[in-house]
Amino acid sequence: MTARPVAHSVPEIEGQLEKLWAQAAVARAQAAQAENALIAAQAEAAARAATSDTSATSDTSATSATSATSGAGSHNVAARTSVLNLVVVAGDQGSAEKCAATILGAASRHASRSLILSAVDPEGPAGLEARIDALAMSPAGGRAETGAETVHVVVRGETGLHLASIIVPLLVHDLPVALWWPNDPPLGSHRADRLLPIADRLIVDGSAWTGNGLDLLGLLAVAAEQHQLVVADWALLRQARWREAIASVYDLPDLRPHLGAVRRIEVEYAAAEPGDPAGKTNVVRPLYHVAWLASRLGMTVAEPVNRESDGRRTATLRQKDHAVEVVLRPVVSDLGAGSTVRVKIVSRLRGAELVGEVAAGDRSVEVMVWDNGRERVRRVYVAPRLTDVDLLGRAVEEGAADPVAVHALAMAGRLLGVESALHKAERHRSQDHD
Amino acid sequence: MSPSRAPGPPPPARTALQLREATTAARRRPRPDADVNPLRQGLRLERVPDPCAFVLFGATGDLAHRKVLPAIYQLWRTNLLPAEFSLVAVARRPYTDESFAAEVHASLEKYSRVQPIDQAAWAELAKRISYQQLDFADDAGFDRLSAALDDLDAKCGTAGNRLFYLATQPSQVTEIVRQMGRVGLDHEMRGGGWRRVVIEKPFGRDFESARHLNHEVSKVLRESQVYRIDHYLGKETVRNLLVFRFGNGIFEPVWNRSYIDHVQITVAESIGVEGRGAFYEETGASRDILQNHLLQLMTLVAMEPPTSFQADALRNEKVQVLRAIAAPDSEHVRRNVVRGQYDPGWVEGEPVPGYRQEPEVDPESETETYVAGRFTIDDWRWSGVPFYLRAGKRLPKRATEIAIQFKEVPLRLFRESTGDPAPNVLAMRIQPDEGIMLRFAAKVPGLGLDVRTVNMDFAYDTSFVVDSPDAYETLILDALLGDASLFTRADEVEAAWSVVTPIINAWADMPSPQFPNYASGSWGPEAADELLGRDGRRWRRI
Repeated sequence: MTARPVAHSVPEIEGQLEKLWAQAAVARAQAAQAENALIAAQAEAAARAATSDTSATSDTSATSATSATSGAGSHNVAARTSVLNLVVVAGDQGSAEKCAATILGAASRHASRSLILSAVDPEGPAGLEARIDALAMSPAGGRAETGAETVHVVVRGETGLHLASIIVPLLVHDLPVALWWPNDPPLGSHRADRLLPIADRLIVDGSAWTGNGLDLLGLLAVAAEQHQLVVADWALLRQARWREAIASVYDLPDLRPHLGAVRRIEVEYAAAEPGDPAGKTNVVRPLYHVAWLASRLGMTVAEPVNRESDGRRTATLRQKDHAVEVVLRPVVSDLGAGSTVRVKIVSRLRGAELVGEVAAGDRSVEVMVWDNGRERVRRVYVAPRLTDVDLLGRAVEEGAADPVAVHALAMAGRLLGVESALHKAERHRSQDHD
Repeated sequence: MSPSRAPGPPPPARTALQLREATTAARRRPRPDADVNPLRQGLRLERVPDPCAFVLFGATGDLAHRKVLPAIYQLWRTNLLPAEFSLVAVARRPYTDESFAAEVHASLEKYSRVQPIDQAAWAELAKRISYQQLDFADDAGFDRLSAALDDLDAKCGTAGNRLFYLATQPSQVTEIVRQMGRVGLDHEMRGGGWRRVVIEKPFGRDFESARHLNHEVSKVLRESQVYRIDHYLGKETVRNLLVFRFGNGIFEPVWNRSYIDHVQITVAESIGVEGRGAFYEETGASRDILQNHLLQLMTLVAMEPPTSFQADALRNEKVQVLRAIAAPDSEHVRRNVVRGQYDPGWVEGEPVPGYRQEPEVDPESETETYVAGRFTIDDWRWSGVPFYLRAGKRLPKRATEIAIQFKEVPLRLFRESTGDPAPNVLAMRIQPDEGIMLRFAAKVPGLGLDVRTVNMDFAYDTSFVVDSPDAYETLILDALLGDASLFTRADEVEAAWSVVTPIINAWADMPSPQFPNYASGSWGPEAADELLGRDGRRWRRI
């Protein structure tokens, strides 16, 4: 069942939402009544049958039937079990529709109140128009239950500058708020500063940002620390299977000490054009690989990422007392621009060289390990491409910040030379001590 | 402070901000540790099991086709199995690899919980299925199996890791394990190559036989290699019980004898023996449900918080509960345990036969199809709190539920109200309609002060309208990952039997029961109601 009432103000939207809930509660009460009646009829049938056999048993059944029918005077209260408020700042209506479809796909697992905001005619008169889609899911037993509702809000004119004033009254209280920016988020702008404080979680897709994505990634790292935001970046989520595969290189206990002796991390990525001469290929995903490894292995940044004349990006990390060379290399590949083609980690320990390599395959990643030139491990991990519904689901399902993502994003910021307020305070304090 | 520096004044107390920054900085630089793989830390992705061969004994049987094979297909379809996976089906009947795979496909079309079958995923899985005809008493057959598994390691990269799943008759377990030991299939290899054995319930039919079975298994396998499966523990709501208890702070303070009046656990089935009369004649409700499902649920409700979610930490606490259950003597059994057998009646609008009229059942059978008991746990948390457990066949509906009834308020302030508020109840529904219900009193809207009992209901299927994984999927994946927390340990099995065996023995010494004693479609024998009635309580109407 889908209802699509139309409203032109926030109070009207609130009124329409209340009406939807009332309808759902009536449907629920009717379904419960019908179920009780059925149970009573069955119990009576059992009691009648038992009368012919033993009178003692029939008494028991009759009591059951009476009480089941009366329900001991109890009523079912419809309890809202939605898991979050999902606010989408879609920008244009095309993106809004795409996001709505993704939310619908994920609704069965993450019943949300979704507010999808898009703007038209910024120079025109102020105002808004909203429509509400209620998704009534039919669980086992056939009872109607409103599990999720989506409020589509199209804003006009100056109203587009005050989105927070529309969003806040429409949030379901006591539920976390996830703010999803499907396109380039306006980080660092006044608009973002008004919206970020109402969010507990920010959902972005760094791999879909325009240009190489590095400026926005740096701003994202700063915003995450400043606003204490949990950031779910689809670019990082997409690499989950890669991380699993890379971690598996060091699962053999005798190879594990090599994690403290890494000398070189090299990431090859698919370039938009050979050599990526303009440096416009989005390199958020390749950089995340390095950031994750560096953050897990206790590395610090000696020299931030720099673009070389041949199109490579290089950086230098430090691990204990040795340098770790970092190279992001554009290569020609059939994969989409910015996709990781290969991650190679070279370590040297007591004269022995270990090379761990994870390469993209067809819906899989392949792990190869050479110990002093001798092959030690070769295995394949199935790595199907995650859909937008999968990614949205993963982005909202964690209750708290994923420490892996927090550390990777903070390290990405440092690799880009962005010094956050927190990091700066830490550095100043250590200088004071010295 | 550095030893080279002269002692100075103590550093000033740090502000909350400084402490937070210091903590953040410390978190930011995890140090590699030789014992753990730092790249594994914090990964949220479902870990994919190691490359392995899954050796399914009893592969042509009902359990294999209804449960185990659909679970493997589902795990494969959702990419939770490694690419280097191989399924070796083992049974007595003659099949080729292809004919067996065709039979599996037919079973999936019938029993897979997700339809239609994903043909691309199936085609990949089918390539990994092979069949070995084998008589479990045949030494040469096991030699061939061992050689075939070694070949698989070379051909398919299964790396010497093997999970042996014994979906066979219980009587065949000892022989299969003995044969495995004889040919060395139990030997784990250095630097990898694990060997695990999953054994289906029942684990014995009384305390002595369970101990004997454990002893025979332990001659060949270490306890850490044995995974005794009780599929109830893999159910989503049973696992949620752990999350509910130990993931929410508000319930723990009231989870004890000071606030809880009593606990009721019900496993009700509307079906009869469903063509398994011969099996049920040997089993009965006590062995089939009480010894495992009911006692497992009771331990999960009553256990102390474990120190971690590691297998042994969990199982230690469960065993503690079982050992604290007062051992029933024959007088206790006579007063506090009720057995019943169903007569003909009506269930779900259909007439059904009595137990003694079922196929393969003795017309004079004294096997119980219903059992209810009052148990107590002698420890500081639960002393004096009765746990009422009941399980039966041909009851009015299928329902499994745990209900915690809290004590009444110390002073009834609303006596003049039209309705006296009933005590609070927290009910956890295991099946069907999985969810959690809290019953409490609320004022009826109006000028008076009428109080009514209302239910606040959390239903899984309305919060998460997705299929939960089947219990077998959960448990098979856990076994492949080496996580034994939802499997039963040897001492746990024996402790459970030490509660149930005295009941079975006491019944054997008592006069013949007056069977049948409850009509199909009723909630069990009258004596079960009296059991609670004596304490001034009654069974919940589910």
